[in-house]
Amino acid sequence: MAHPLISVKNLDLYFGAFHALKDVSVDFNAGELVGLVGDNGAGKTTLIRVLCGIHKPTKGEVWFDGTQVKEFHPKLAIDNGIETIQQSVGLCDNLSIARNFYLGREPVRKILGIPFLDFAKMRGESRKVIREFGLRDNVSADDEVERLSGGERQSVKIGRAVEFMNRVVIMDEPTNHLSVREREHVNELAVQLKEQGLLVIYITHDIFQVHKLADRIVIMENGEKVEDARTTDMTADELEEVIRQGGRKVEKRGAA
Amino acid sequence: MKHLVKGQGFGAVIGVALMLAVFSLIDFSGWWTAQTMSNVIHYTSILGILAMGQALVIMTKEIDLSVGSVYGLAGIAFIMLQPALGVPGAIIAALIIAAAIGLLQGFGVVKGGLPSMIVTLGGLFTVRGIIYVWTGGSVKAFPEEARNAVVTRLFGGEILGLEAAVFWMLAIGAVLNLMLWATRFGNHLLATGGSAESADSRGVLTGRVKITAFVLCSVLAGFAGILTLADQPQTHVTIGDLMELEAISAAVIGGCLLSGGRGSLTGAVLGAFIVTSFRYELIALGAPSSWFITFVGVVLIVAVIFNQKLARMAGHSV
Repeated sequence: MAHPLISVKNLDLYFGAFHALKDVSVDFNAGELVGLVGDNGAGKTTLIRVLCGIHKPTKGEVWFDGTQVKEFHPKLAIDNGIETIQQSVGLCDNLSIARNFYLGREPVRKILGIPFLDFAKMRGESRKVIREFGLRDNVSADDEVERLSGGERQSVKIGRAVEFMNRVVIMDEPTNHLSVREREHVNELAVQLKEQGLLVIYITHDIFQVHKLADRIVIMENGEKVEDARTTDMTADELEEVIRQGGRKVEKRGAA
Repeated sequence: MKHLVKGQGFGAVIGVALMLAVFSLIDFSGWWTAQTMSNVIHYTSILGILAMGQALVIMTKEIDLSVGSVYGLAGIAFIMLQPALGVPGAIIAALIIAAAIGLLQGFGVVKGGLPSMIVTLGGLFTVRGIIYVWTGGSVKAFPEEARNAVVTRLFGGEILGLEAAVFWMLAIGAVLNLMLWATRFGNHLLATGGSAESADSRGVLTGRVKITAFVLCSVLAGFAGILTLADQPQTHVTIGDLMELEAISAAVIGGCLLSGGRGSLTGAVLGAFIVTSFRYELIALGAPSSWFITFVGVVLIVAVIFNQKLARMAGHSV
């Protein structure tokens, strides 16, 4: 491979005085499922938020498909085919599945020169996803997302990621609050996406779960990358040990 | 039917039916007269235009308290600028002034990250102050020839025996409904109010959506002011006082939830109809006019409780 799809070089990010990301360098390749693991506050989500354009790094470089990224905005990331599936964000409860599915890139049909929403297409495509991704039979494309269960919501988001021919799918704790069966379903989808040649970045706490799926595991701790290993080289137990060892430094209060 | 019941405006439909039934029962001959009806429909149209603008802003999860002052300023600008610019020029200038106020307030809310309640409260006072300073406390008379100009009649006259304002309100309502429910901008507006964070993550420019909503709201308020003064050009510097509260009440009675993302423009007009009807029925019944604002308050609270129950019945978490 000529160059990695996403390359992060010496990335630093400060929120005011808080040093959220410390000199992080990591490469992600197309057709790879990478598990991004670490404790709460380790910087996983912060790193991802840089990749999907929400945060602008203070220092360092981000390269996407061989060109350096200069501007950071969610819209640019989406236009470049980077789709993020976050736990609680991404769907508007007050809108129908069809409207959510196409939010931000609604298809339009011109009537008298005025671009109106193409409801037929919006309903048709989202109905397809509802069927493919195993939502309840009585769910229609016109139903508000509010009615859906946690798993169904994730299915809509993942279906959306598949539909728009993305190159990168970032899943931020995609199986939180899901039933066992829904969790398996989401994990199968993640592997499917990878097999279609997409880069899948899978963020989780659960090293044992992601070790089964991933080609590579990146462990973050305290804003730093502490491990980057192929799953064939290290077992889940070994990796878990790394997470334990890299535990956050807690400054003890001295007696003085 | 199913669509109607699920719509946010359904509560207002019930409200209107109930109100008409009660008014017919207690005061049939006073209520159903041509004069009362004509007044009610005329004022409903003007308040309805304000309420629809307000509804758009509320649906983005913001609020605009300045519409009463903007309504007044645009109307007075129309009269004050007419000698220099002519009638069409004065109308355009008044609308530009209104749009500029909306733009400024939108910027304050979005770029300044300030609560719209504060920004537009400031707008309410500032704009009212500008009216006092500009007019010096009294508004000049509108010359006779300007009153009879074709353009003035187009906004303030009668068409087919109905006030022109009615047709303007219906046309604006139709355009805004299409915009809200059948265009990309409408989808972005609803998404911004429903969950700005989710809309952002999908690449929706939520800041721009909100600013546009504030501009639309101010322009509609200004337009309503022009419609009012084109019809009755004698006015006073207090024109539009408390009108923001009537407009917000109308939008809320019409089913707009202050939690954003849900509302109805048709409902807002029906809400304006309810508010206006109470005003005229109280006058018809001989109650002191100061009772009106108390009644609006009571109706507002009852409507909010009712609409919330209705929304919960429909399965929304509000």
